[in-house]
Amino acid sequence: MSDTLTYVYAIARDVDPAVVRGLGGVGGRPVRVVAVGRLGAVVSDADRAEFEERALEERLEDLEWLAATARAHHHVVDTLGRDHLVAPLALATVYFDDDRVRAVLDEGRATFDAVLDRLAGRAEFGLKVYARKGGRSSTATTERAASGAEYLRRRRQALREGDSALDEAREAAEQVDTAVTELAAASRSHRLQDATLSGTSEPMVLNRAYLVPVERAGELAALVGSLAEHPRIRVEVTGPWVPYSFAQADP
Amino acid sequence: MAERPSTGPRIEIDKDEVRRDLMKLVLTIVELLRQLMERQAIRRVEQGDLTEQEEEDLGTSLMLLAEAMDELTEQFGLTPADLNLDLGPLGPLLPRER
Repeated sequence: MSDTLTYVYAIARDVDPAVVRGLGGVGGRPVRVVAVGRLGAVVSDADRAEFEERALEERLEDLEWLAATARAHHHVVDTLGRDHLVAPLALATVYFDDDRVRAVLDEGRATFDAVLDRLAGRAEFGLKVYARKGGRSSTATTERAASGAEYLRRRRQALREGDSALDEAREAAEQVDTAVTELAAASRSHRLQDATLSGTSEPMVLNRAYLVPVERAGELAALVGSLAEHPRIRVEVTGPWVPYSFAQADP
Repeated sequence: MAERPSTGPRIEIDKDEVRRDLMKLVLTIVELLRQLMERQAIRRVEQGDLTEQEEEDLGTSLMLLAEAMDELTEQFGLTPADLNLDLGPLGPLLPRER
């Protein structure tokens, strides 16, 4: 049994081996191409000890290892994605050896072709929408309430405004989603991130990825630009990305 | 068993730190109860099952409690944002805005 496995980064068509020559993958191992017909898997060797099932479970909890692996993975996919149509694979996708990869490419040819066709000429954009703080003029009176009843009234109003501000932000985010979905060929929802992760204190109300035809990217930018002054929400757009969120083999 | 040194700046600093952390935890719990009571009071006012006098008394108590909280928090060099616990997937213990 050999002591390496084959780590697959992405699948692409007509990969020019010159593009990946000299590229370092996970663990600094050289990247190469395993091709079947026009389909090519971009792979490198990977330490069996690191990527075997049991070991991998442990490794995935090691944030430093995970970060280094993810960076290496992304670097390969990104380099390839510059001049190739790519279907990126999930982090740490490993096969027994190159022959196994060839067999998978051969068996799944129709599926891979369909996925690549779907991704052709399209790029992934990420949209994050946050509810703006404060929002409407919440009459922030700093002076002490004159009576207990007055205090309760103020608190009630403040709580209500907070709730309705969030509701309105969600509604506005839905409208943005509808507008962007019209531009997009597909969209996928991601988990809303907590404030500690997103690094802002504004609550996130939308986190989606959209697969947008490259020629409509300008429309997306214009749409997001027109929302810059929105009183309720703050919209963040990122991309274009290699379409990680859309490389699944489903319809 | 080794005897613990009774003096030394290191111990003193740790003690203060422990005291501050404990106070933070106590204040967090009090703040949670305060907010729950406030919401409960507002709901009862909305339902209209309080007399005017009761409403006034309840409001005054809550107002004084809120002021006392603010004072205590400030006294221990804490901010309202410190009085919150991250419950992971459940989100924060208290709403981010009061």
